[in-house]
Amino acid sequence: MPGFLLQRLGMMLVTLWAIVTLTFFLMHAVPGGPFVSERMLAPEIAAALNAKYGLDQPIWVQYLNYLQGVLSFDLGPSFKYPGVSVNTMIANGLPVTMQTGMLAIICVIALGIPLGIIAALNRNKWPDTVVMMIATIGVAIPSYVIATVTLYIFALRLGWVPTFGLDDWRGYFLPVFALSGFWISFVARLTRSSLLETFEQDYMTTARAKGLRPGQVLFKHGLRNSLVPVVTVLGPVVANLITGSFVIEQIFALPGIGRQFVLSITNRDYTAIMGITIFYAAALMVMILIVDLLYAVLDPRIKLSKAAA
Amino acid sequence: MTDQPHTIAPHMWEKLGPGDAEAAISAPSLTYWQDARRRLWANKPAVVALGFIIALILGAIFGPLFSPFSYFEQNLKLANIPPAFETYVIDDGQGGATRFFLNASNFNLYEVDAEGHVLGLIRGGRKDMMKKAQPFTFGDTDISLDYSSLPPRIVSVDGDTITPSGWSWNRTYLFGTDQLGRDVLVRQLYGARISLTVAFVATLVNFFIGIFYGGLSGYIGGKTDAVMMRIVEIISTIPLTLYVVLLMVVFDSGLYSIIIAIGSVFWVDMARIVRGQILSLKSQDYVASARTMGAGTSRILTKHLLPNSIGPIIVTLTMLIPSAIFIESFMSFIGLGVTPPLASWGTLTSEAVETMRAYPHQLFFPAAAISLTMFAFNFLGDGLRDALDPRFRK
Repeated sequence: MPGFLLQRLGMMLVTLWAIVTLTFFLMHAVPGGPFVSERMLAPEIAAALNAKYGLDQPIWVQYLNYLQGVLSFDLGPSFKYPGVSVNTMIANGLPVTMQTGMLAIICVIALGIPLGIIAALNRNKWPDTVVMMIATIGVAIPSYVIATVTLYIFALRLGWVPTFGLDDWRGYFLPVFALSGFWISFVARLTRSSLLETFEQDYMTTARAKGLRPGQVLFKHGLRNSLVPVVTVLGPVVANLITGSFVIEQIFALPGIGRQFVLSITNRDYTAIMGITIFYAAALMVMILIVDLLYAVLDPRIKLSKAAA
Repeated sequence: MTDQPHTIAPHMWEKLGPGDAEAAISAPSLTYWQDARRRLWANKPAVVALGFIIALILGAIFGPLFSPFSYFEQNLKLANIPPAFETYVIDDGQGGATRFFLNASNFNLYEVDAEGHVLGLIRGGRKDMMKKAQPFTFGDTDISLDYSSLPPRIVSVDGDTITPSGWSWNRTYLFGTDQLGRDVLVRQLYGARISLTVAFVATLVNFFIGIFYGGLSGYIGGKTDAVMMRIVEIISTIPLTLYVVLLMVVFDSGLYSIIIAIGSVFWVDMARIVRGQILSLKSQDYVASARTMGAGTSRILTKHLLPNSIGPIIVTLTMLIPSAIFIESFMSFIGLGVTPPLASWGTLTSEAVETMRAYPHQLFFPAAAISLTMFAFNFLGDGLRDALDPRFRK
């Protein structure tokens, strides 16, 4: 177990280093500096600005400085908003993104898995058909379409929920639904097929033959085994929620990190783009590590050894 | 599932004549591809999806040629026209009649003919700012547009509300026009071109880089494989969308940038699948025998290993195409995609969000287009997976 953790942490550091390096050099490959704009700056001011942000130094010094900053959790200043650091930007947006993201994950687990179970237990009957139909629709429709269409129907036409913001608790419904829609469908499909496969196994027959109650058979023997593939996709779920939040937070005007990221892109705020990308990558890797650990808890056959990595 | 005891009908005990047994169990033997095609044809949703995709490709290539409009031509006088409207007929008192419709969101009247062709904007008299009304004159008949209360009404001189005479589809602009008076249908078809171009590029990249990379990694194995797969692992740790965003920031938005951005990272999943296939296939006897006969690496890869893993490759491809289309529309939606006046389904949707309250039709069409396309590729992918999986072979 410690060996596994160490190896994973080492791999994470290498990956993070690769991403920092990649983003750094990509952003420096952008033609024109951060202070090139329509309004020409006086050369003295440009030089002073470059000196302030360390841009007059050779690129490898800048690179080492940035690397050092990332290691000490300092993502540097924003180029577009003087006096605001990228850390502050992330800290401001984090609560909103975390809230909607967490609610979305809870929805995925609390709706996707039960829907899959219902479908599997009623195979080829109407509940199965209904669930699979919803799931097919949910997998095919992009999140921004779900967001805009539900916004039109429920906020504009019916007026049940506010059109933007999270001041009202009802404001959470549409963003969370749009974020989690795809994955609820995906998890429902996955749970169904995995459970159906488990039902065919011999140990299920044994459990039933022993005279266990149907509930025990389902939850102790069936579900526990069929949830393993479901847990595997929870890592990608987190990844998808992060990228999904770009668009969802923009449509619903939520002041989260995703919206901040899109804003930074439109503003060409290079340090903010770099910083938020690195933050996303780090957050994701931690999440995937947690999912892997969870995986081992759920499935005792998997030993957390080097081979499992 | 089968709880009933099997009973064997008496006629099954009867003795068979010589040769009958072979005749009874023989069926025309089908090759793998014949069988796969047969199973794909039996899958109705997949066939419909295939038909839709073919129609979409044809529409995207030839559709704009038949349209009198172009995707960039603006006509501000005919902006925000809906695809269907309620027509009013006003007798002008000189033996003629004028047919028009009222755009309830911008308070304009547009003249139309009996078939629903839009003829043009009707110029009214001076707006009465106090009463919130605008007079219109048709020959001897005077009417006025009263927008003091919503929805706006057409009233006669006496103050009676004139009711519309019926519904009509817009024959000039089948899908209506956008806020700059451009034909939505043509812009959608151009959007289809972009989506399909992106899908095509993703396919090419998967085919060449993904298969080559995965094939080499799996075939060579050992240290090379470990290093190559570590690189893939590093790339796939963060979502592809993030790379595409980063690359788009560097390259500046535009169609070519999207193609480069998607092309440069989109082969990772394919490389993984191909590597897994090659790893499991390369220890097969026919590979060993080919090697004994003196076949080189490239020959074994291209003639033996890849043809045998074509099923999973095609399935992965049909799964990756919709995600490439989705990433393009997603990029366009957040403003990193194609540059105006070029339209993609993503930009069309994001433009429509701003005017969704007044002109929902502008949102409906691109949203439906992208959803239907995603549906079609998903159904086709599911169908192909079932058809190409040897486990389902009958």
